[in-house]
Amino acid sequence: MLVLMNVEMVLEDLGCTAISAAGSVAEGLSLLAQQSFDAAILDVNLGEQKSYPVADKLTERGIRFVFSTGNGNHGDRSDLDDRPMLKKPYLTEDLITVFEQLIADMPMPTAA
Amino acid sequence: MADVTAKSDVQKEGEARVDAFRQDLGPFVVAAEKTRMPMVFADEEPGHPIIFANDAFLALTGYEREEVLAKSFQSLLAEGVDAETMPIVDAAFRGECENDPEVHYKRKDGSEFWAKMFVSPVCEEDGTVVQQFVSFVDQTKHQQDNAQCKMLIDELNHRVKNTLATVQSIVTQALRHPAEPAAIRQAIESRLMALSQSHDLLTSGNWEGAGLHDLVDTALHPFKVVAGHAERFTIVGDNVHLSPRTTLSLAIAFHELATNAVKYGAFSNDAGTIRIDWTVVEEESGNRVLIHWLERDGPKVTQPKGKGFGSWVLERGIAHELGGKVTLEYLTDGVACTIDIPISAKLAE
Repeated sequence: MLVLMNVEMVLEDLGCTAISAAGSVAEGLSLLAQQSFDAAILDVNLGEQKSYPVADKLTERGIRFVFSTGNGNHGDRSDLDDRPMLKKPYLTEDLITVFEQLIADMPMPTAA
Repeated sequence: MADVTAKSDVQKEGEARVDAFRQDLGPFVVAAEKTRMPMVFADEEPGHPIIFANDAFLALTGYEREEVLAKSFQSLLAEGVDAETMPIVDAAFRGECENDPEVHYKRKDGSEFWAKMFVSPVCEEDGTVVQQFVSFVDQTKHQQDNAQCKMLIDELNHRVKNTLATVQSIVTQALRHPAEPAAIRQAIESRLMALSQSHDLLTSGNWEGAGLHDLVDTALHPFKVVAGHAERFTIVGDNVHLSPRTTLSLAIAFHELATNAVKYGAFSNDAGTIRIDWTVVEEESGNRVLIHWLERDGPKVTQPKGKGFGSWVLERGIAHELGGKVTLEYLTDGVACTIDIPISAKLAE
């Protein structure tokens, strides 16, 4: 919980607006169904659950994301090993760098 | 009479020979039959047909004796091991294996065991191998212990990393706003103590969770004892079982509420009281616990100027981490906080 607090504050300082957080896979999927996102940070372990269904949905939607974990590997989902990963605890500077990259890599919005 | 005596001599001689045989070989045969080390003898022929299997081998593999006798050792083994194991076993039979193979074997009934396999050739005087003697040491318990140990180390590492990240957040947040170093140190230390106490509580319950009553007692313990406020707390509710995650988050929430009460609220004067009560609400979508924190007879409450660590924990943290609903009201008569979170059904023991 307090780790999330730090992430939120750092992102706010970066100028991010409309930061949403979810504590479970169900909530994460429900948020994705309701809103659009520029980038996401995803804890691998959510209590008893793993966040992979949310990762798959983010991939499907083309939303860039970074994993965050205290473990450092994806176990049975080695196909996700190429995703950026922040190993807890991580430097605030690294969090900022990763998010700047995620945003910079975003596809440009197509002109209406 | 003479005939009987003569016959008896022959008989005696015969019995003596059998006795001698028994004395020479008997104990070894019995030992091989009855030892708890699984053993088989196989002929040195293609496929290595089994000519002897002891009770321990049958117990280990789950086969009947008639199912294994005369059957090829290799084909019996191949039924229960991975494809990559067989070449290693074949090499062991040729005496070309540097280390004794460890086999992961599926029994007839599908259950599994691990065993170290020792292959020793039985030779004639000229060195010709006539039989293979194979014995096993069951490594299943050892393997399970290793796996359990590895899992615990991984889990410990995971918790340590998460805890360090939490400490990082506590420190970062305390330094976010300008304050006296002493005040910053005090804020960090008291939160670290609260975190440490909730870890103690979870450890005493084998990290399977904690009871809500125990959690409230633990979280408020420093405030009750150190400040002598015990009689001004009223705590009413069952020892509802909470998950480790809920326990950790709620512990911080109660710590922040109590800290605020000591600094500005009901415990900042001599008369204020705090009532904490909760009820379990059963719903089709799952049970919830509804917790009320109500301060009375403290100084007149004024709305805080900014949102600090405590209000973030309560208003956003609990909601996000636990999928809960929290209302925090600075009523003139005293702070009122309602925490509504999902819980699993069972009661703490």
